[in-house]
Amino acid sequence: MTTHGLKKRLASAAVYLFLAVMAFLSVFPFLWMVIGATNSTSDIIKGKMSFGEGLLVNAATFFSQVNAPLIFWNSAKITIIATVSTLLISSLAGYGFEIFSSRFREKLYSLMLLTLMIPFAALMIPLFMLMGKFGLINTHIAVVLPTVASAFIVFYFRQSTKAFPHELRDAARVDGLKEWQIFFLIYMPVMRSTYAAAFIIVFMTAWNNYLWPLIVLQSNDTKTITLVISSLGSAYYPDYGAVMIGTVLATIPTLFVFFAMQRQFVEGMLGSVK
Amino acid sequence: MNRKTVALAFASASLIAITAAQAAEVTVWCWDPNFNVAIMKEAGEIYAKTHPDFKLNVVDFAKADLEQKLQTGLASGVADGMPDIVLIEDYGAQKYLQSFPDAFAPLSDKVDYSGFAPYKVALATLDDKVYSMPFDSGVTGFYYRKDLLSQAGFQPADLQDLTWDKFIEIAKVVEEKTGKKMMAYDPNDAGLTRIIMQSAGGWYFDKDGNLAIEGNAALKAALEVVQKIQTANIFRPAAGWADWVGAFTGGEVASVTTGVWITGTVKSQPEQSGNWGIAPIPKLTIDGATHYSNLGGSSWYVLAASPAKDEAIDFLNDIYGKDIDFYQKILVDRGAVGSLLAAREGAAYKSTDAFFGGEPIWQTFSDWLSKVPSVNYGTFTNEVDSVVAAHQPDLAKGASVDDVIKAIDEQAKTLVQ
Repeated sequence: MTTHGLKKRLASAAVYLFLAVMAFLSVFPFLWMVIGATNSTSDIIKGKMSFGEGLLVNAATFFSQVNAPLIFWNSAKITIIATVSTLLISSLAGYGFEIFSSRFREKLYSLMLLTLMIPFAALMIPLFMLMGKFGLINTHIAVVLPTVASAFIVFYFRQSTKAFPHELRDAARVDGLKEWQIFFLIYMPVMRSTYAAAFIIVFMTAWNNYLWPLIVLQSNDTKTITLVISSLGSAYYPDYGAVMIGTVLATIPTLFVFFAMQRQFVEGMLGSVK
Repeated sequence: MNRKTVALAFASASLIAITAAQAAEVTVWCWDPNFNVAIMKEAGEIYAKTHPDFKLNVVDFAKADLEQKLQTGLASGVADGMPDIVLIEDYGAQKYLQSFPDAFAPLSDKVDYSGFAPYKVALATLDDKVYSMPFDSGVTGFYYRKDLLSQAGFQPADLQDLTWDKFIEIAKVVEEKTGKKMMAYDPNDAGLTRIIMQSAGGWYFDKDGNLAIEGNAALKAALEVVQKIQTANIFRPAAGWADWVGAFTGGEVASVTTGVWITGTVKSQPEQSGNWGIAPIPKLTIDGATHYSNLGGSSWYVLAASPAKDEAIDFLNDIYGKDIDFYQKILVDRGAVGSLLAAREGAAYKSTDAFFGGEPIWQTFSDWLSKVPSVNYGTFTNEVDSVVAAHQPDLAKGASVDDVIKAIDEQAKTLVQ
């Protein structure tokens, strides 16, 4: 073996080692969570790293303390509505920014991107007052509304739209399609990987959304699963087993969506139009 | 396909139902499903027996979440969806009372405060008005393993009137004779410092609520004790709460000095039954030093803007202000030691506990409760406390107490201003 070959092999060994460590660091919390769901609180605190026999007990505790169907329905409802409306509204905006030009376009666009730099905590109190004026405190509408025009998703759609062939639009026009028809019948199907990638991002954000629902939802029957898990975990003597059950259950939908749409997600990130 | 997507969007939108809470019932925010949430529900059921129209809606959030919500709600001035009664941790009480004047209803006209532990009343007093219905107490005790201490030659009678210096001496003997450390201690937590400081009537703030770090005799004496404990190496280091709890439940240490709310945790190990005793905490040797202190605790507050304000106050006063039987029930069911001194006349408080060798521990704690020195928790206790906690490890490295106090003072001043 030449020194050159040895060096190469050493280098790739180092790369694999690095990747293995990183993969372990990413997977470990999941493993810890699943193991925790089968152990008692005292075992979890002791750091027991093997599966226990407490799964059913933990599940019983969780389901007796939490009105799970209602809470998951609240989360699902908010997530589905937020995802569909965000994708629709933000993609329309992204498409519009790229396709239609005007004197103010770039200025408006920069202004919109600037809003990405304002931390949400700074907007919270004015937003809360606004929702108070609308009489929407403690409603799921109030949770969804501030998210539907997402600057990041608009940005993402505008970037992706740059790859959308203008010939397609021109051809559609020649065929007599109206602007909205071009958007729904031509643009949407062509850009489906972009939609898929955006879907995953928006879905996860909405499902895991914490701070704003926390502020605006005031009663037990409107709460989402993230709020319930937080409240379970903050007791003076929390039942960590039950918390882990809740966390596992709350992770399943995101995992499912991610694995179901993984291929499209990667395609979408690489640029969707082939 | 696309039309379907649009149709789905509209269909889903119509599914959002407005679920705004309606008044005419009393809404309470608190944070522990097994503790204050359960106790509040119990209180509501008792009150409803004599007030059939009364409806109580207890909403639980994580404590930090609740504080964030309360802060946002009060700061924005939107009364919509705010609760009628809210639980606030005692250390933060003055912050809310002073930052949001008029947000909370004074209860002094309705409630007879002479029946409560004086320090619980003082901490919720602002401009001669009292705003809280005192709830759980963190009156402190020195929990010790009788078996280990007697093995080291100390009987319960020897432990009733300790000073901290004597405590450290005993600790050395205990380790020599039993091989166990006297206590578990987390140098990054200032809980013990607070306990010792309040036992001598001191706090991070003076009686008027001004920052009092330099020249604070109680704080200085407390930090000296903390330094001695660390340099004498009489403790088993604990990394965080869970590890600290594990040290005494696992039988690794001979004692624990903390709030009465730990009793349930101490008792969670049935095989140690009969081996535990309680004594007053050791005291300092400065002016005003006592054997009594407090750690944690919380109280109920009524929001002034609440449409059900009168009902809420009447409810709190009837149950938490007078009902001795209620206090027996929450002691037995939830291990909650309330702040109403008359509760000690009930059967549960008078009962003895085999786990503690047949001592009437609740009567004892209730005695101590009435003697806890009153202090002003000020507006920034949690902020200053984190500064103190950050500087405690320096004491182990040999920094002088005066230098550490100076450093704490400088940093605390920037936080408080």
